[in-house]
Amino acid sequence: MSWIARLRGMLNRQRLDRELDEELRSHVEMRTADNLAAGMSPEDARFAAQKRFGNFTLLKEDTRAVDIIGWLDECARDFRYALRMLKRSPGFTAVAVLTLALGIGANSAIFSVVDAILLRPLPYPEPERLVRIWESSAKYDSPRNVVNPLNFLDWRDHSQSFESMAAISGAMTNLSFHGQPVALQGMQVSPEFFSILRVPPLLGRTFSAADGVAGQDHVVILSYELWQRQYGANPKIIDAKIDVDAVPFTVIGVMPRGFSFPKIKSEVWTPLALARTAEWKEGRYLTVVARLKQGVSLSQAQQDMQRVANFTAQARPDNNKYWSANVFPMLEDVTQGVRRPLWVLLASVSFLLLIACANVANLLLMRGTARLRELAVRSALGAARSRIVRQLFVESLLLSLAGMAAGLLLAQLGLRSLLALIPQNAPLPRSEPIAMDFRVLLFTFLASLLTAMAFGLVPALRLSRVDLQSALKHGTPRSGVGGHQALRRSFVVAEVSLALLLSVGAGLMLRSFARLISVDPGFSPEHLLTMHIWTSPARYFDNLKRSQYFDRMLTEIRATPGVRAAGSTHFLPLKRMFSGSCFSPADQPASSPSDWPSAQFLIISSGYLQTMSTALLSGRDFDDRDRFSSQPVAMVNHAFVERFYSGQSVLGKQLRVCWTMEKPVEIVGVVADARQAQLQDTPEPTIFLSNSQAPMYFATLVVRAAGDPGPIARSAEAAIHRVDPEQAVSDIQTMETVFSDSVSSPRFQAVLLMMFAGLAVALATIGVYGVVSYSISQRANEIGIRIALGARSANVVRLVLREALTLAVIALLLGLAGALALSRVLESLLFEVTPTDPITLASACFIVLAVSALAAVLPARRAMRIDPIVALRYE
Amino acid sequence: MLRPKNDLLQGTLALLVLKTLARGPHHGYGITLHIQMVSKDILRVEEGSLYPALHRMEQDGWVSAEWGVSENNRRARYYRLTFRGRKQLAEEEKNWERLTEAVAQVLQFV
Repeated sequence: MSWIARLRGMLNRQRLDRELDEELRSHVEMRTADNLAAGMSPEDARFAAQKRFGNFTLLKEDTRAVDIIGWLDECARDFRYALRMLKRSPGFTAVAVLTLALGIGANSAIFSVVDAILLRPLPYPEPERLVRIWESSAKYDSPRNVVNPLNFLDWRDHSQSFESMAAISGAMTNLSFHGQPVALQGMQVSPEFFSILRVPPLLGRTFSAADGVAGQDHVVILSYELWQRQYGANPKIIDAKIDVDAVPFTVIGVMPRGFSFPKIKSEVWTPLALARTAEWKEGRYLTVVARLKQGVSLSQAQQDMQRVANFTAQARPDNNKYWSANVFPMLEDVTQGVRRPLWVLLASVSFLLLIACANVANLLLMRGTARLRELAVRSALGAARSRIVRQLFVESLLLSLAGMAAGLLLAQLGLRSLLALIPQNAPLPRSEPIAMDFRVLLFTFLASLLTAMAFGLVPALRLSRVDLQSALKHGTPRSGVGGHQALRRSFVVAEVSLALLLSVGAGLMLRSFARLISVDPGFSPEHLLTMHIWTSPARYFDNLKRSQYFDRMLTEIRATPGVRAAGSTHFLPLKRMFSGSCFSPADQPASSPSDWPSAQFLIISSGYLQTMSTALLSGRDFDDRDRFSSQPVAMVNHAFVERFYSGQSVLGKQLRVCWTMEKPVEIVGVVADARQAQLQDTPEPTIFLSNSQAPMYFATLVVRAAGDPGPIARSAEAAIHRVDPEQAVSDIQTMETVFSDSVSSPRFQAVLLMMFAGLAVALATIGVYGVVSYSISQRANEIGIRIALGARSANVVRLVLREALTLAVIALLLGLAGALALSRVLESLLFEVTPTDPITLASACFIVLAVSALAAVLPARRAMRIDPIVALRYE
Repeated sequence: MLRPKNDLLQGTLALLVLKTLARGPHHGYGITLHIQMVSKDILRVEEGSLYPALHRMEQDGWVSAEWGVSENNRRARYYRLTFRGRKQLAEEEKNWERLTEAVAQVLQFV
């Protein structure tokens, strides 16, 4: 095709210029030679030859200009013509552009999110070499388990695949500002952390190996936001001393703006001093990040870690037998839970775009048959078919680009409202801002081009295949429905089946969400206030001191007016946190702990169960009898009894719990099952330990208010400060907020899918309406004749409806087939609902069928009112 | 001798070039020589219009071109007629006949 040659011509400019030059020169040479042969002198010969040629440069330019001029000229002409055509039918243009804007805009918005979270590389140099390493236990089905410090040290010393490895422990830090204690989220990191991420500090320096030595680790690095907020961006902050957890620390650095580590919002970094001492022997709580050595692949690193894990299993079999290690690329690891939902959303929104394309394609076809005469004339005047196709396609391109422009505006608005739906405390895995940047714009542009091809090409090809004779003779829109009918019908069938697919998806997510929030959590979230307490290690290092501190805190709070009950737990339910420990019945011979079963555990205060309204099934709760030095007691939940003591009475039995190895605990009560990490997890066997006897150094307090929990926040905080004025209190939220945040992701997905399905059904309905009413207007004479011949209006309506419903049924069958085929994709996102849930499938079918029927009935009723005389007159 | 007008009718240049090439491939200079010779010097093709026309015809796919060696061992670009060019030639010849017939009819009408 000539325009390919032109395009190539524009690209190979230099080479073609040289060739042309050579060609022209050889022409002159030949004429010169002939002139010489004819007897002219050499100078004259050449002069005459060149004179004939005229201006070399001008000639070259003229020759080459043929390319550009021709091409640009035709392009400009096509665009101007397309613009004129579109302006001539403003209704059609508006509807088409709006439809496209909806489809393209939705895709653009969702893609912004997908790109920001899943596709964009992490904001560190060479991010593809960053990995996270977890311990893994096949026995407890935990492939991403937090890490034991001694294991970490062994990993660091014995592995060969990594440049360096660092351990992270999240912690709350109490900083004191103008006498007011403020709890900040922070990270304790081993010194290699910053060199692994390779982000240079804004001010000062990051940790060096010396900072990791206990005793020399009183150094701290601040985040940019903290430095701005609390220290006024004072550049003299370096080497200043600030009180961290009531101990003076030296500030050695400030990180640049926007620096963050995925999933942990940290404002202070302190060194994690790890040493091989006995006190850390068994617990697992570290997150490990590492950078692969150059040229080492992931599978090599995995094998290496498995070898090292075997070594640790042999060195400390009590703790490490049956445990191994897993290495995952950091980006993949961090986006673990959101990947599938996001891809499902993107797929849904592309289906929406396809439906929009089908609608616009139909619109083009219908409008095209009205322009049959114009196209026939152009063809008769000599336009090549390819030219007509190109002309029509340029119109589609213009529509698509206009749709893209409007769509980008819609996307901006949509994205903003979308992001507002994400709750503060259930943040996304990555904290980089989600905005419509260059990548999103590029994607939107490409999507628009593809869209134009999708809806524009087929109509353009079909319409350009014009039968000159009949079109010129009959040219009126009333005749010649012809072959386009089948095409229009297949577009409509495609639309409706996609709309059904989306409706099924939305229905499933909705049911799943409804099921989820109707789960009995095992406690009563109303009127409950929660707040988080981290005790300063310096002040409350001693277990007894801590136990008494918490006891006094709770007593003060209980005495506050408006408080019905108060208690504490070390991990609040529905925060995706839980702890596990191995245990064994005390009356059984002591075998190796690696063979012991394990259960979840929760460290609670007395009164916690009462505050949460969790039922006590038998025995008693912790109470004042259970002090720090009295007989260690425990409670277990119903699931524990079912799993390990089925059929027996468990009260009075004693357990050795790995977490508190000193003395065995006696079971004094059985608690009803309650949800812990998230609503979706069925309650696991759980051991409850008393906070008075085995106090954690942090806890979440729960306070049940007589009425609205909000107002008592201040008095509760004041009560705490009566016990210790420097205690920072953080994360004050009602339990209802926690509950709502914990289901924010399924809610988000359900809401979005419902929206997309709604739009899809609306577009499909418009499509059905358009096609049916168009076909009626095409067949107006046929219908007129039928009525004139005595057909009753009901028969006419039935005729129209029958055709429409046949199409709808075909579409439904196709849509159902699609839903069944794709059902496995949704399986992991659904809670207690199978992807082939018959109720959902049936409701979706019913809705789509009803809506299509409605869309067909309206034009059908118009058909009834066709005046046969009017219809026949226009023949 | 008729003073040849320097601008041949647009269409006829293409027709003449195509006809010339129907006999076999030529380079640009050769085409001008051939036309000049056969028309007994009445039609002289200006190089200024020949090369743009050749380029346009190449873009439209009527002729194809490749480098070769000329009679006196010089590198030259040879043009040959393509299949589409042949069809185009037939078309143009038909049009030309119709045109000249029409003109003759008008002139005969007294």
